[in-house]
Amino acid sequence: MYVKGLAAFAAALGVGLLSGAAVAQEVKQEKQSVLGNATVSPVTQEQLNAADKNAKDFLLTNGNYAQTRFYPGKQIGRDNVKNLHVAWIFQTDVKESLETSPIVVDGVMYVTTSFSHVYALDAKTGQQLWHYAHKMGPITVYCCGPNNRGVQVLGDRVYLATLDSKLMALNAKTGEVVWTTNIADPELGYSETMAPTVVKDKVLIGTNGGEYGIRGFVRAYDAKTGKQLWNFNTIPENSVGVWATKDATGRDMHRNIQAEKDVLAKIGDPYAKLGGGVWQNPSVDLATNRIYFVVGNPSPDLDGSNRPGDNLYTNSLVSLDLDTGKYVCHFQYIAHDVWDLDAVSPTVLVNVKDKDGKTIPGVIHAGKTGHIYVHDRKDCSLIRFSEAMVPQENMWVLPTKEGARMLPGANGGVEWSPIATDPGQELAYAINLHQPMTYHVESSAYPNGKLWLGGAFKVIPSEKQSGNITAVNYNTGKIKWQVKTPEPMIGGILATAGGLVFTGEGNGKFAAYNSSNGKELWSFRAGAGVNAPPSSYMIGGKQYVVVGAGGNTQLDYKRGNNIIAFTLD
Amino acid sequence: MFRKWMICGAALLLMVTATRAETIEDKVAVCAGCHGADGKPVDKTIPTIWGQQAGYLYIQLRDFKRGDRKSDIMQPIATQFERDDMLAIAEYFSQKPWPDLGQPRAPKDVAAKAVSASASVGCPACHLDRFQGDGTVPRLAGMGRDYLAKTIADFRNRARGNNPGMSDLMLATSPDDLAALVEYLAGL
Ligand code: HEC
Ligand code: HEC
Repeated sequence: MYVKGLAAFAAALGVGLLSGAAVAQEVKQEKQSVLGNATVSPVTQEQLNAADKNAKDFLLTNGNYAQTRFYPGKQIGRDNVKNLHVAWIFQTDVKESLETSPIVVDGVMYVTTSFSHVYALDAKTGQQLWHYAHKMGPITVYCCGPNNRGVQVLGDRVYLATLDSKLMALNAKTGEVVWTTNIADPELGYSETMAPTVVKDKVLIGTNGGEYGIRGFVRAYDAKTGKQLWNFNTIPENSVGVWATKDATGRDMHRNIQAEKDVLAKIGDPYAKLGGGVWQNPSVDLATNRIYFVVGNPSPDLDGSNRPGDNLYTNSLVSLDLDTGKYVCHFQYIAHDVWDLDAVSPTVLVNVKDKDGKTIPGVIHAGKTGHIYVHDRKDCSLIRFSEAMVPQENMWVLPTKEGARMLPGANGGVEWSPIATDPGQELAYAINLHQPMTYHVESSAYPNGKLWLGGAFKVIPSEKQSGNITAVNYNTGKIKWQVKTPEPMIGGILATAGGLVFTGEGNGKFAAYNSSNGKELWSFRAGAGVNAPPSSYMIGGKQYVVVGAGGNTQLDYKRGNNIIAFTLD
Repeated sequence: MFRKWMICGAALLLMVTATRAETIEDKVAVCAGCHGADGKPVDKTIPTIWGQQAGYLYIQLRDFKRGDRKSDIMQPIATQFERDDMLAIAEYFSQKPWPDLGQPRAPKDVAAKAVSASASVGCPACHLDRFQGDGTVPRLAGMGRDYLAKTIADFRNRARGNNPGMSDLMLATSPDDLAALVEYLAGL
């Protein structure tokens, strides 16, 4: 791949005289870390708790523990956003899929790239302060790209989870490794692409692997030592559930319950290899000491014949006690999923109107189905779901050998892309994919940690694909506005107190829209896919907006390696 | 075992490789007979292993030994190796340059068909940009045409049973599209 080619080139320059002609073009040498000596101020728990009110920094992947991605600063607003221009561009060493959420701590920005590299940058100038180049183990097994979505800082430690399934603490000043913990065995299909969430000296992390027959989990590790504090299996030993025949919206899923019961009698509960990855950060409710997250698809993705039951807690919202990891409540969107239309996009905590119009603490999630689901935070129950943001057709036709057409395609709706919310307007902003697909089923036994899809989903080449940005009123479920985009969207979105939303497209466009009506107010061409969530911060009295432009593996959007910061004059 | 390896990390890996330097050469001597002394396989149905991803090479040796991937030729060879040997052998070959087999680029119409088929299943989502592979996913760019055709056919009829996911994807792709992909990938 490109990064290795590049590194080989650098190595050839550096040691060319020593090794001479022996340094061949394809020598695979990893890029070396560059240690630094950055001036950093330690991040306190109090700062993290108040991140939602802090316009100077952008302390967490999704802005704050509630994950609103609502930035409280408003220097850049609807009137002046047209003057936004590039402040600086930083080029990383890795030219692959870029899904990083930049975080900013007192003038220092931390970004990550594919293959788990971390950079500390001067957030004002883009100058590199240090570079941690992870020495990847030989065995990595992952779905959908060698991505990394970011880091979090607590104290003077930067927390990173790597593709080869390690959790690490780095020294925020230098980039040196402080401790490393193995999370799980990559040879069995485990990998990490999400940013850890660090709260109250606990590092919270989920796992990927739903395409490999893992048993998913969310864990807490001690931030000081890396020792595991608790583990929650996302697949309980009794995964059978209530034999639900309808999805969260009341549509029949065409399950053959009797056939499933017969299989259950024969093979028992399939919990041990049932998947249930957790791709994205949990929300933390500081008032109740609870966390909320969503669990991904069952394994194998499209073949349900050997996993009888509802496959709890796949495709579900789950809440746990932060201190103990004990189960509090769950809500399953799709029982016994055979379409991979699972739950990925991070949950958001906002106050919502319940069915009687009373304002209560809510939690919302944007599904691959194209609905935004609104829940009661107390018991996870569903209050309402939004109008569909993408075309839905033929739901829920069962996959066949020849392939059955159904919309949405298996990427969504809303993929892993985080949504943003603007509580003042009661709006949630989501970016969507529209990819007509056929769903194919094949059956095979558990393949020892190998790819286990149970079939395939195929884009129909003759059908037009597109994307959209949709604003949904989460108190009514109605779509307020929608902007169509020429290609399916993946990455993320940011809302600001300046009345704007910022998001990017696979064709390199990065734009600002009026958050009340979707009117486009400014745009920029980045030259590579803008498929990462934007962030915003203030330095020296100036507001900046920053985003990664590095394309995307999953949708094969043009790769690049730029981190681009914008500001006003 | 695995965990220990991971904890000791890079230092241990280097040490092991170093102390086994000579024995590694001995161990891989036999491979050249088929996979080529210069990295170019001696027969068109034999895969290129020079410059291949280390994780992938290791997994294949492991699977041959376990019998998850059937091969009358490779199974007895792989059976002699322990996990450490396999990792070292994989690392050894991954460091070699990928050989240019001099296969022609696919004609435009074939390439277009291949790219459309690839986009439909999303091959680059795993095999990555320009089909270079990574970790346990193999490089396909410039692989021998006959081997590609053979192993894809083997995936399709599950004679190659060590990755049902790949079999599923191949079964969902028409033989026509696969033929175009073989020509396209060989010529990259
Ligand atoms: C007698 C010929 C022969 C020898 C000697 C031999 N191989 Fe192979 N090897 C093959 C053939 C043929 C295949 C393809 C097997 C199949 O697909 O059925 C293969 C496949 C492989 C593969 C899988 C590659 C891929 O792309 O999937 C690896 C790895 C491998 N060999 C490594 C080795 C190593 C290491 C040695 C020496 C220790 C070795 N081989 C010696 C003939 C040989
Ligand atoms: C979801 C991930 C994924 C996708 C999508 C995918 N592959 Fe693979 N592919 C793999 C993995 C993993 C292997 C290694 C198989 C093993 O473990 O033996 C592989 C192996 C292969 C091999 C065998 C190479 C060798 O040296 O033996 C070929 C050929 C191949 N893939 C072609 C394709 C083509 C063509 C497509 C698209 C039509 C595709 N793959 C899509 C993951 C994928």
